[in-house]
Amino acid sequence: MDSLGPELATYLSIAWLLPLVGFVIEVMNGFGQWNRLSRKAALLAIACIGTGFLFSSYAFCRWGTETNWAVFAEHESHDGHASVLDNPKEVGHDHHAENKSAVPLAYSGKFYTLAKFGNLELSLDYYIDSLTLLMFCMVTFIATCIHVFAVGYMSDELTIEYVDHHAHDSHGHHVHRLGRFYRFFSFLSLFCFAMLGLVIAGNIFQVFVFWELVGICSFLLIGFYTERKSANVAANKAFIVNRVGDFGFIIGLMILWTYCGTFNFTEYKSGETMKPGLFEMVRTAEGELTYTDDTHETVALHTSNEHGHWVAPQGESTKRRTIPYMLLVVAGLGVFGGCIGKSAQFPLQTWLPDAMEGPTPVSALVHSATMVAAGVYLAARFFPVFTSEVLLAIAYTGCITLFVAATIAVVATDIKKVLAYSTISQLGYMMLAIGLGGWAAGLFHLITHAFFKSLMFLASGAVIYGCHHEQEMPKMGGLFKKMPITALTMLVGVIAIAGLAIPGTPIAFSGYHSKDAIVATALAYTQHNPVHFLLFMTPLVTAGITAFYMFRLWFYTFTGTPRDEHVYEHAHEVPKVMFVPLLVLSVLAAGCAIGGEHGQLFKMISLSEPVGLAEGVPASGVAQVTLPSHDDIHAVHSTAGVVALLAASLGTLTAFLLYCKPVVKPENIKNQFPGLHNFLVEKWYFDDLYEALFIRPSHAVARWATGFDRLILDGILHGAAKSTVIVSAIDRKFDEGFVDGIVNLVGNTTRRFGYSLRVFQTGQIRQYVMFIAVSVVALFAVLFALLPKA
Amino acid sequence: MDPLCFLSALIFLPALGALILVAFPSKAVDAMRMFTVAITVLVFAMTLNLWLGAGSFDSSIATIQPVAEGVSKPWIPDWNIHYRLGYDGISLPLVVLTGFVCVLAALASWSINKLHKGYFMLFLLLETGMLGTFLALDFFLFYVFWEVMLLPMYFLIGIWGGPRREYAAIKFFLYTLAGSVLMLIAMLMFYFGSGREFSLIKLAELAQDGHTFDYTTQVIAFVLLFIGFAIKVPSFPFHTWLPDAHVEAPTPISMILAGVLLKMGGYGILRIAFPLCPLGAQAAAYTLVGIGVFSIIYGAFAALAQTDFKRLVAYSSVSHMGYVVLGMAVWKINEHNGTDFWLQGMSGAMFQMIAHGVSSAGMFFMVGVIYDRVHHRNLNEFGGLANRMPLYSGLAAGIFFAGLGLPGLCGFIGEVAVVISTWNFSPLLAIIAASGVILTAAYILWTLQRVYLGAEYKGPHSEEIDHMPFNAREAFVAFTLLITAIVLGVYPAIVFDAMNPTLQGLVDSLQKAAPADAATAVTQALQ
Repeated sequence: MDSLGPELATYLSIAWLLPLVGFVIEVMNGFGQWNRLSRKAALLAIACIGTGFLFSSYAFCRWGTETNWAVFAEHESHDGHASVLDNPKEVGHDHHAENKSAVPLAYSGKFYTLAKFGNLELSLDYYIDSLTLLMFCMVTFIATCIHVFAVGYMSDELTIEYVDHHAHDSHGHHVHRLGRFYRFFSFLSLFCFAMLGLVIAGNIFQVFVFWELVGICSFLLIGFYTERKSANVAANKAFIVNRVGDFGFIIGLMILWTYCGTFNFTEYKSGETMKPGLFEMVRTAEGELTYTDDTHETVALHTSNEHGHWVAPQGESTKRRTIPYMLLVVAGLGVFGGCIGKSAQFPLQTWLPDAMEGPTPVSALVHSATMVAAGVYLAARFFPVFTSEVLLAIAYTGCITLFVAATIAVVATDIKKVLAYSTISQLGYMMLAIGLGGWAAGLFHLITHAFFKSLMFLASGAVIYGCHHEQEMPKMGGLFKKMPITALTMLVGVIAIAGLAIPGTPIAFSGYHSKDAIVATALAYTQHNPVHFLLFMTPLVTAGITAFYMFRLWFYTFTGTPRDEHVYEHAHEVPKVMFVPLLVLSVLAAGCAIGGEHGQLFKMISLSEPVGLAEGVPASGVAQVTLPSHDDIHAVHSTAGVVALLAASLGTLTAFLLYCKPVVKPENIKNQFPGLHNFLVEKWYFDDLYEALFIRPSHAVARWATGFDRLILDGILHGAAKSTVIVSAIDRKFDEGFVDGIVNLVGNTTRRFGYSLRVFQTGQIRQYVMFIAVSVVALFAVLFALLPKA
Repeated sequence: MDPLCFLSALIFLPALGALILVAFPSKAVDAMRMFTVAITVLVFAMTLNLWLGAGSFDSSIATIQPVAEGVSKPWIPDWNIHYRLGYDGISLPLVVLTGFVCVLAALASWSINKLHKGYFMLFLLLETGMLGTFLALDFFLFYVFWEVMLLPMYFLIGIWGGPRREYAAIKFFLYTLAGSVLMLIAMLMFYFGSGREFSLIKLAELAQDGHTFDYTTQVIAFVLLFIGFAIKVPSFPFHTWLPDAHVEAPTPISMILAGVLLKMGGYGILRIAFPLCPLGAQAAAYTLVGIGVFSIIYGAFAALAQTDFKRLVAYSSVSHMGYVVLGMAVWKINEHNGTDFWLQGMSGAMFQMIAHGVSSAGMFFMVGVIYDRVHHRNLNEFGGLANRMPLYSGLAAGIFFAGLGLPGLCGFIGEVAVVISTWNFSPLLAIIAASGVILTAAYILWTLQRVYLGAEYKGPHSEEIDHMPFNAREAFVAFTLLITAIVLGVYPAIVFDAMNPTLQGLVDSLQKAAPADAATAVTQALQ
């Protein structure tokens, strides 16, 4: 049993590192041996990620057999309580059964140390629980499907002369370039590596590392068509907006590092001693905070191990590690700031729609199924550190996001943009669920969403491919006849996301179950906290809007009469390599959540749920919100299911009446509310706002900085240099005028004196002799005159 | 070999090479190039031997090696000046970095197109000066090497530089000379204050016993030394020589300037300013952190506004070196972790110096490669290079990502280690420092976009890009830099392990020398 952790880590590491190997080979050979018509890069990439999926699945099976599939077996002897959750350690047959910790069964360990500063240690670790395993399987599986699809979608890159119709040179001609098939797959491989590294990470620092790496992969893939300015701008925007979130992330990291002295999620071995991770430090084994004072301003950190429990040391205050409650809140908000950026939540949602500039398989993999869900994943992973205020902030962020994005999706006409906004909106649902304490519900939706959204993106990619790179829905219509497989698989996704189901029967697609779980959580939550009723109303209303815009998309694209003859004429069904992944994904999109909250998937997720959530969390802190218990949620489940279904049906019906069998022309409604329409088309003016608030001021400050250097600092320097020159000039004048003047004066006088003596210098010996004689006589005369008389 | 002989051989081998170059016929340009490269490779091999060779460097020892006093011979006995050499975890990584960067800079020197002999001689003399500075343990000797380094640099910029080379060279010279003068004053203060001592190790011991130099002396000396070294780092507001020097300097000289010379400043602070004036350093800690943070943000903003490619990279150096000053000065004791956060800051600062040596040398090299072809650096007149020179663009992107601080590459480790150690010192400054990540991403990505991406190349000499393909020599330099950046980013422990005991020793001795830390004072008062 003890060896299971390292064993799982080995399998998952193989799955994690294989794409990296693939990336290196692909990118090297892309420049070298392989020619532009070769599909080898794609085959290698698929082989890597496919093998990764096999290893992930194998790890999953090993984990299952070692635990005797207790997670599912429990279902058969179900007695109304999820007893798996009550005693998670029993599932793992843990030898240290008394070693109860604040986190459910998980295996953690270290890969290697990056740096060590005294007692502080930065390292790469792994943390494997049921959620990790599930994420590994999901990511590798979806990635494999998308890789296969991309072989078809990107096949026009298999050329030595690719004509980019969206990029123009200065003469207005289309840009011709070499095909870049291999490069696309190498970037995809790199992305898979980074994403899996993020999932397996055993400390928050490592999450940050891979967080940035998925960000740069996203940058590379959005900007894949480097010739298009719009693509480059979108890529930059994506990365920089993400960095704004990461700024918050770093602040969170700094606080935790300073106060806790570790980044590890759970306890870890340092030398020979065990040290607590963040989760054990912050929460007790029951999942509660410990305060050192009555006003709840300081939280004690549990650093002392007594009988297998991490507790706060008693006695002298110097031994006790504490963290001010407010800083714990700030740290949580900071880390959540990173999640806001990555998951495109309000107010940093603006990058995701622009990210649709990337090739559609990228949108499917990176910008809907996996990377953008990383924010949700982290919020879930880091749940034990979040205080109730942070959770409330998460809930409201999700709530605002899901509504704002859904409203914009209603007016979007680009098929990919609609899906992008729906992604933002659905991510909002997940965040909301986590903020409400519906931990498992949020992740449940993450998994189901990954399947149906990647399906829909691929289907939209098929449409775009079939229509020769036409993305505008107003130019489509009636495509069902041309591409029935695509249309039907897309319909599966649409039904799944809309959350439609046949009441009273178990017939429902995955989205119904997961959204149902979220709405039920929201309902139970508002029952406990009536003040926050918006947290229930908004997602409910938005469920209707979601159904509306998704069916609008489907009807608009596939039904009715063709609106652009040219597009329609040339439209065709996609080849097998593309529709097979669609079919595979549609099966999972429909059925991955079978059984809803009693199904296997939900049980898997629940197993990793933080301790203490199942019984609900009583109100505390400034926020004073109560998190509902599982029983509370269960009690309102059927009610929530009915209202959610009602909302979805209404939305569907509206879409049907507007776009399939129009009773009212959508244009008329648009003309009725031009202001509102414009407001939505302009995306609530977020881009313009940020341009005015941040981008332009930054450039202004940048100009000031250079100006300061040039005018002030260099000005001082040049001033100093100039004054030196002036001083030198004065010095020279002084020298030339005064010092030299004196010297010259002396010289001149001497010379003049010399001149005056010239008259004596006649050159005549006789005269000289006479001078000498006279002088000698004179000298003697003087001597005699002056010498004292003896 | 006797350690003193070995170290001397290491330092003076390039100078010897410079002498031998005299014998080369002026026309034998290729021979001179190859000879210079051979010398630098030999020196690099010797530095590696110093680091990894059996019995030469023991990374578990905190003190100076090979012996704690440094190996020495009397030089000018009347003035108690010794020829004293030695290395430890602080200087050794920088010595290796010097050897490394010089090899690559020599390989990048093919673009020099006049007075080859003089160039390569000065180049090698410069290397002697740099190695000597890092290995000298006598203040006087340090000063001499510091000046020896200055002159070749002046001529290398002033003769082989760009159109405004005279201006840039004089600016560089005057700035550095001003720093030297301040250092000289401080040196004499210590010399006479200590009873004629120049040994840096002895002076540090004297300074740390707290009796020899009083608080005022230490503060004055620290200010003098810090300004002298801050000019070299360069920190705001002493940085304006750097953009000019870089813009005018030829590519390989820019590489050395950014890769090694700037590190002299950081090294001087750690080797001289801190140990010799612990009280002064402690008093100035907050100012230093402030200067570091301000340089980070200021440099990043200034970089954002540049239109000259090289000037942009130069300003990025100002920003990145800000982390060095910041990390060194986060002097505050934490109740639970003692000096660990400070140790982290210092280690991060040291790592940042190494990382910046790799990434900035790489960035300057990449600028040089394109400049050799199109002969301009206007950022708005590039574009589309990713299609014209794919390998070059790919490598350049990797190296610029290292500058951006992308995890997995060297720039990240130093920056993040420094930044997360700062909260303990001052939350406000830590937050400001952290905001640098946004600006850095902005200016680097915007640069990449303007130079490498886009539909087509927009500037002059477009045909030259096709005439001069990215050659194997250039690819080798770029690959070496990128791979080094990756190795340091993925396994930074190789550098940290070498530095750690020395830095731990430094931190402990400083803390002992100046224990009147505000935090501990408060804690003690409370008890």
